[in-house]
Amino acid sequence: MTTSATASGAATRTIVTGSAASAVPARRAGSRNREQLISWAFLAPFLIAFALFLVWPIVHGIYLSFTDQSLTGAGGSFVGFANYGEALTDPVMWQSMWNTVWFTLLSTVPLVVIALLMAALVDRGLPGQWLWRLSFFMPYLLASTVISQIWVWIFNPQIGAANNILKALGLEPLAWLQNPDTNMLSIVIATVWWTVGFNFLLYLAAMQNIPPQQYEAASLDGAGPWRQFWSITLPQLGPATVLILILQILASLKLFDQAYQMLGGVASDTTRSIVQYIYEAGFVNYRFGYSAAISYVFFALIVIIGVAQALVSRRRKEL
Amino acid sequence: MTPPLDLSRRQFLTASSLAAGAALLAGCAPGSAIGDSTQTLQFWHLLSGGDGVTMSSLLDGVNGAQGAYRIRPTVLAWGTPYYTKLAMAGAGGRAPDVAIMHATRVNGWAPGGLLDDWDLDRLADLGVDKSTFPAPIWEKGFVGDRLFSVALDAHPFVMMFNTDVCDAAGVLDTDGRLRETSSPEEFVDQLRAVSGSAEGHALSYGYLGDGAQMWRLFYGLYAQHGLAMELPLGGKAVIDKDAAVESLTFMQSLLDGEIAAAQNDYGSAIAEFATGKSGMLFTGVWELRTMQNAGIPFDAAMIPTLYGTPAVYADSHSFVLPHQANADETKRELTYQFVADVLKGSFGWAEAGHIPAFLPVTESPEYAELIPQANYAEAAEHVVYDPSAWFTGSGSSVQEDFGAAVQGVLLSGDDPAAAIDRFEARVNTILTQPNPADPEGTWKP
Amino acid sequence: MSTATLSHTQAITAPGARRRRRPHLPGQKPFGLLRVTAFVVLALLAIGWLLPFLWAIATAFKTETDAASGDPSWIGATGPTVEAFTAILSQGNVYTWAFNSLWTSAAITLITLAISALAAYAFSRMDFTGRKWLFVVVIASIIVPPQVLIIPLFYQMLTFNMIDTHWGLILPQVVAPAMVFILKRFFDAIPIELEDAARVDGASRFRIFWSIVLPLSRPILASVAIFVFIGAWNNFLWPFLVINDTTLMTLPVGLQTVISAYGVQYAQVMAQAVLAALPLIIVFIIFQKQIVKGVATSGFGGQ
Repeated sequence: MTTSATASGAATRTIVTGSAASAVPARRAGSRNREQLISWAFLAPFLIAFALFLVWPIVHGIYLSFTDQSLTGAGGSFVGFANYGEALTDPVMWQSMWNTVWFTLLSTVPLVVIALLMAALVDRGLPGQWLWRLSFFMPYLLASTVISQIWVWIFNPQIGAANNILKALGLEPLAWLQNPDTNMLSIVIATVWWTVGFNFLLYLAAMQNIPPQQYEAASLDGAGPWRQFWSITLPQLGPATVLILILQILASLKLFDQAYQMLGGVASDTTRSIVQYIYEAGFVNYRFGYSAAISYVFFALIVIIGVAQALVSRRRKEL
Repeated sequence: MTPPLDLSRRQFLTASSLAAGAALLAGCAPGSAIGDSTQTLQFWHLLSGGDGVTMSSLLDGVNGAQGAYRIRPTVLAWGTPYYTKLAMAGAGGRAPDVAIMHATRVNGWAPGGLLDDWDLDRLADLGVDKSTFPAPIWEKGFVGDRLFSVALDAHPFVMMFNTDVCDAAGVLDTDGRLRETSSPEEFVDQLRAVSGSAEGHALSYGYLGDGAQMWRLFYGLYAQHGLAMELPLGGKAVIDKDAAVESLTFMQSLLDGEIAAAQNDYGSAIAEFATGKSGMLFTGVWELRTMQNAGIPFDAAMIPTLYGTPAVYADSHSFVLPHQANADETKRELTYQFVADVLKGSFGWAEAGHIPAFLPVTESPEYAELIPQANYAEAAEHVVYDPSAWFTGSGSSVQEDFGAAVQGVLLSGDDPAAAIDRFEARVNTILTQPNPADPEGTWKP
Repeated sequence: MSTATLSHTQAITAPGARRRRRPHLPGQKPFGLLRVTAFVVLALLAIGWLLPFLWAIATAFKTETDAASGDPSWIGATGPTVEAFTAILSQGNVYTWAFNSLWTSAAITLITLAISALAAYAFSRMDFTGRKWLFVVVIASIIVPPQVLIIPLFYQMLTFNMIDTHWGLILPQVVAPAMVFILKRFFDAIPIELEDAARVDGASRFRIFWSIVLPLSRPILASVAIFVFIGAWNNFLWPFLVINDTTLMTLPVGLQTVISAYGVQYAQVMAQAVLAALPLIIVFIIFQKQIVKGVATSGFGGQ
């Protein structure tokens, strides 16, 4: 805790190290206006970009959702709630929403469990740390296009590595990406490979923050490594797990890149995510107004989940 | 405060020198060394595989024969991605100078203002007019009174057959052509005979994950019943269920693993026939080059008329002018010249298997000597295009919808009648919607 | 909107804790059965994780015929070759796209950093009307998924005639409220005395910002820069929508959109993918420490 006094004798508020409070020194009235001006000068570049490319599109998007605006420039008349009505009764919209939720469910479990397993193994301090980190995290840095092309190649029904492996095991080859029964699963597999490294690092950091004294004490009491893991490590991963789950769910709901790319730009009814439907409605089918309406239905969903997440976090903090 | 995550000097220097090196490399990228006065024309198309090779050499020929312009082609993935990108470029007003579109897609686009129309007089000055095209092909390019597309070819969906395999199976006649079959049962018998002498299957047909392929075969068979699907905007689709189910069931029966592989995608079907393992192939004429390069002994013919009326499913590759906000007059002029040059030089395109739309080429004696093209040239008389609507045409989403509705029938033995119903329901839903390129019908043809 | 978002705002590092590397857990023999098993499992898992990428590399070094044959061996029957790479590189597209990616990502990074730091400093140190609620608005906007804005943003770019321009690609991506939040938090923690001393000497706000606060913030600025750069480089959706001209495309978009006139050439596709992956792999190798720390401590980079 520190205090200080300026030359003019006015006191400053104290700051607590590590808190998020900021200090605003009191000052003579005359320089207030100048301070305002300077503040706005600092803020202006960001605020202009913010207003132009975030606020205005949100507002204008809402407006568009009440029109029949076309990509080609035609249309644009007011149609009231027709787009929303259509969106909420559109079976493809609900199918896309379901595909997205299903993708989230399918991918979240492996993305958490495998990341935990990886972190638990790496945390043991086995030699070769840099190699493990590289192997697990490197895919995360690849662009979506790159991973999609790699996995499309692996999933090629005739000459891909996946079916080569199946054939070697004496199993029937699969039409991974062409068969509606397996195409979402294929996308999940590629996604898990791609993004698990991120969760792995989060878990690893959490594990490495557990004070080693706890392990020492437990081993003195005779607890073996399994016991230590169950009783010491896992319980303290609560916050990390919650964090990972929230990040995972929010990211999965925004699925577009790899689902679009791995199917070559042509969605199957089982892989079309809600964002892909927004894209198709607007850019493939030229219906900007309708696409905007779907966007806001999706946005509402995200906000609900985001608010729920905030409430959950607050509840946890209070505990 | 958290411990400093400092950027070490070494990291900074490494990063900057790499960035500088990359910039240098980028500068060394192969650029074009063209004369100052040569205009570069951007040309988008969706032709790859055997077609892509042929088009590339056609363009090389055109580029080499004159110095006023140079064509810079870009190939985008066939189907929805191509049309989406082209539409967005047209909407943005900075589209390529000239592009290829399927003739069946044009009438859906024109009302959106995404295309500029062709000046008939300028084309006539260059020797391109009504008299130089077969009537139905020329007319397909019009929306109202305005010409929006100039056809390069007609490319039907045909049957190629391995002459050695078929000869060994005893299904060729004395001319070396396939014995005519005029009913599904006769054709299946012929196929069974072929499967006896083929190393792999009797027939290669790639359809997996490919709505366009499924539609091509289906609609050809449907049209052989003497029918055409009608899709009136704001009304209900006119589909003869019996004929549709019959065609689809027939397709299903071929994919039994003996006559044809139960699940082949486009590429593997091509590969199966090209390596001589199968006796026949259902494909578009655009794969002719591929087969010639593969060195197998083969010929081509129309898909046999199994239901009474000769009908050949086809589409045309046509030149269009994507809308430009500020069209450069010089480039436009050169674009007209380019199209005329390609049409006149389209004999090479015939060599790739397509039937050129430009009559001076097809009526030439050299063309009559092209084998196997001459063996299916009559297909041009029985050409059947997609039913006319804003949402139909090659690479359209309705072909994908068809694929989604019926793939289960072909792949997993689902009920064909239910699949046709699903497809009909989907089409009827679309028919209730206005053309989204022009939702209020404000465009005047 | 920038895709380099801060997905979570709470640091999960306990204050004062340092990363510790334990040679082995207490009470365990270094070469005990459990440990060896763990090592084997770990090694297998790591190899398994590297395999897809290694397989892509192996394919890239095959001839087209070998690749298309479906031969499962790592080296093709005709032996390794660089013909796929030379074919891709001689087409010239990859250079153009890489350069586009480099220039646009750098521009996005610099602009985002500049405007976010300025704004964050204002929120942190300066007093002005509406400060609190404006900050709340900025923070609230973090929840907005960029995917929701593609339609109105595209429409906007159409109106300004900025479709198919690099600025149309860059500008919407410089808005990064999450980065403003992170930077503000960091600035808050800088002891105010350092600035007060300078103010006493009559230094202007900007002078203080530039000469005192920024130099002290190098670590966080570096982290922000790296993650904004990576996010911009890998961003697919917006560049895919706004750019149709193939000479203006960034690397991920070009890879996806432009195909070979020869049809699917597996070795070349893999060669292109490997080349496209290289730049950021190099970035990772150089900036490994920062990246790993950034992800672990602040949840940087969650998409």
